[in-house]
Amino acid sequence: MSGTPTAEVYRIDWLPGTDVLHGVCHCGAERTAEDPVELWQWMLAHPTGHHPGGHHPTGHLPAGHHPTDPPEHQPNGHRKEPR
Amino acid sequence: MTGVTTLARMTAFAKNQWYVAAYGREIGRELLGRTILNEPIAFYRTESDDKVIALADRCVHRRYPLTAGRLDGDTVVCGYHGFTYDTGGTCVFVPGQKRVPRTARVRSYPVVERDSLVWVWIGDPALADPGAVPRAPWLADPRWTTVGGMEPIDADYGLLVDNLLDLSHETYLHGGYIGTPEVAETPITTEVDEGAGVVRVSRHMDDAECPPFYARSTGIEGRITRWQDIEYHAPCLYLLHSRIAPVGVLPEPDGSDPNAFHVEITYAITPSTDRHVYDFWAVSRDFAQDDEEVSTFLHDLNRTVVLQDVAALNVLQKALDTEREGYQELSINIDTGGLAARRILARLATEGEKTAPVVASP
Ligand code: FES
Ligand SMILES: [Fe+2]
Ligand SMILES: [Zn+2]
Repeated sequence: MSGTPTAEVYRIDWLPGTDVLHGVCHCGAERTAEDPVELWQWMLAHPTGHHPGGHHPTGHLPAGHHPTDPPEHQPNGHRKEPR
Repeated sequence: MTGVTTLARMTAFAKNQWYVAAYGREIGRELLGRTILNEPIAFYRTESDDKVIALADRCVHRRYPLTAGRLDGDTVVCGYHGFTYDTGGTCVFVPGQKRVPRTARVRSYPVVERDSLVWVWIGDPALADPGAVPRAPWLADPRWTTVGGMEPIDADYGLLVDNLLDLSHETYLHGGYIGTPEVAETPITTEVDEGAGVVRVSRHMDDAECPPFYARSTGIEGRITRWQDIEYHAPCLYLLHSRIAPVGVLPEPDGSDPNAFHVEITYAITPSTDRHVYDFWAVSRDFAQDDEEVSTFLHDLNRTVVLQDVAALNVLQKALDTEREGYQELSINIDTGGLAARRILARLATEGEKTAPVVASP
């Protein structure tokens, strides 16, 4: 592959000091989990289950939330996923 | 259950991709044989213009390996009965008769020599785009000094991808060489650029023990700031941008970084057969460039580390070969990058099944 950057970038941050992974889709949808398999499954199902803006089902948040915000400053609705 | 995945017995090969076949220095006026994605290939350089040629390593006559024959100028002469092939793989001579059968040709492969590496295109030659070869410019840049080598591993290439995408193993498998406790302890950030086929994994250690690999080569005493930024250009090229500095020393606001030591660690992961992979490795540095002792030290130590991986993956493959189809494994946070790489490889393998549309000849 050429490595030419594209807009389709998925990102997962392992939040320092926790076991929590925080995923951000290129569409802005976000979710946290403690299992990378589950998080990638959700992420790569895009757009299924991704709701950037508009309705915010539990665990999905619009763009604008910074992935490195400490957990206690996360907006409502951004919770650890059930395991 | 959390983290569990069920695995196939073999990582699928991705065709229609460039793969590193050799270092440029390995190919000369002797035939070199390498098997890439199960295709045996003979490499050599032409006498007339030093170009690297790649031909299928099987004579059309009785399938004798061309690498068991010899070069005659720019042509290859089969060592069994003398069928002779030009640089495009066309047979130009057969013994005892004037007429050379029209179908007498071996496959020739597109080749690009770049950044001291020889890349070969495996797949449909019509799709080969030399511009898509990923770069590792420091390998051939006079401002950097590079040491390197290649070690074959008797394992599925997917095991090597997994190994390199999760450097937490440095702490356990390479402790006392390149590993320190902080590597396994420090959280990572993983990014996948789906369109580009690139996985990035970053681990920034603010205050870490300095392993011998860096202590002895840089001369830093005491603790360090150690950054590991991986860029995996699936399927073949793996870059580890390593930045080492005394604790607290950061790049300047203008982006320059004069007070850090930079090491570019390059791997090429080239699948050979289902159970064999070529592990090309190189270590490039932007300090002590002319110091032979540092070169020897980094070469020997990194080779030792690579051989630790080789031994571990040989053992792992043997164990996996006793597993039933559909065995399971368990992934945790450290595997976030490796899981992403697997998924991209699976996609590239599926895409590689497609071939170029057949264009009717006039
Ligand atoms: S096998 Fe090559 S010439 Fe007979
Ligand atoms: Fe290793
Ligand atoms: Zn999405």
